[in-house]
Amino acid sequence: MDYVTTLKILVIGESGVGKSSIILAFTTGDYNASFPATIGVDYKCKVMEVNGLKVKLGIWDTAGQERYRTLTSSFYRDAHGAILVYDISEPKSLEKLQEWVEELQVYSTKKNIVCLVVGNKIDKPRAVQREQGQAFAQKHRMLFIESSAKTQEGITLAFEELVQKIIETPGLWESGGSSSNIRISNEASGRQKEESTCYDYSCTI
Amino acid sequence: MDDVLDEVVSSEDLQKFEKIFHEQLHQGEVTHKAQFEYAWCLVRSKYPTDIRKGILLLKELFNSHPDGKRDYLFYLAIGNARIKEYNKALHYVKKFLEIEPANQQVLALERQINKRMEKEGLIGMAMAGGAVLALGGLVGLGVALAKAKK
Repeated sequence: MDYVTTLKILVIGESGVGKSSIILAFTTGDYNASFPATIGVDYKCKVMEVNGLKVKLGIWDTAGQERYRTLTSSFYRDAHGAILVYDISEPKSLEKLQEWVEELQVYSTKKNIVCLVVGNKIDKPRAVQREQGQAFAQKHRMLFIESSAKTQEGITLAFEELVQKIIETPGLWESGGSSSNIRISNEASGRQKEESTCYDYSCTI
Repeated sequence: MDDVLDEVVSSEDLQKFEKIFHEQLHQGEVTHKAQFEYAWCLVRSKYPTDIRKGILLLKELFNSHPDGKRDYLFYLAIGNARIKEYNKALHYVKKFLEIEPANQQVLALERQINKRMEKEGLIGMAMAGGAVLALGGLVGLGVALAKAKK
């Protein structure tokens, strides 16, 4: 294993705002002008380096269409991060994002999940001001960025910002596998345990 | 987990959608939505019997509800691939691509199915190779024993 942990990233938002396009742009650098609606849930993974740490991202692309709503909510479980996408040429898609925030509050299981609001399609004529998106993100204590899956602008940065914040959030993620430094720290805690019983060393690092 | 074929439904989800389906069945009318949601859980189960049941429900939907065709074809392909019925799975992929030739999600699924076939094909060959070696060993032993008898 050449990465320290796997992070589960969820991508949600209305149908047609460009969720799959953002993921395609991030994972392959490609763009597809006529993207058909995603069926159910799609999954892509990519290894990424942040702060010198290699992490594997498991990215869950959920269908935005209403009829899938009851099915996709179960994918919120254990997500470390969520990307909430709207279309800057479509004001309604930002209004509707409120419903997605509520879904997230109901179904996500990790208390301190990191969320990022993405205003996509900045290559198109603007109908939503940057400040409006920013205000929405601020209100919900979420990160904010604008992007274009078509021109690649902001795409990598969006994932970097999100993953960086997840990595910096204590207790949100655990390193998986049996890399050597973890074994060393377990030994150290074992030794300390013999010397003192004042602390509980059973926590994982 | 590397691709969609590895994904397994949680037992809570399976039970939840099973309950809705059976309640409707009991009342005499099952909606397309309830049947699809239950089937969608079944084809992602770890038990082949569940998957087969899901495939049956999806086939029924495919014949009775043309509006949801792409959903049904997609999960018919997933279900069949998960019970290693790769040729059937590819058949549904092909049918889907006839409607939407450039669908990324389905093209990716096709690649994953091909990859699995290739991988399992190689494992099969390795096993056959092992059997040949074992047989050779037995023949060798036989020859040695025959020689020893003399």
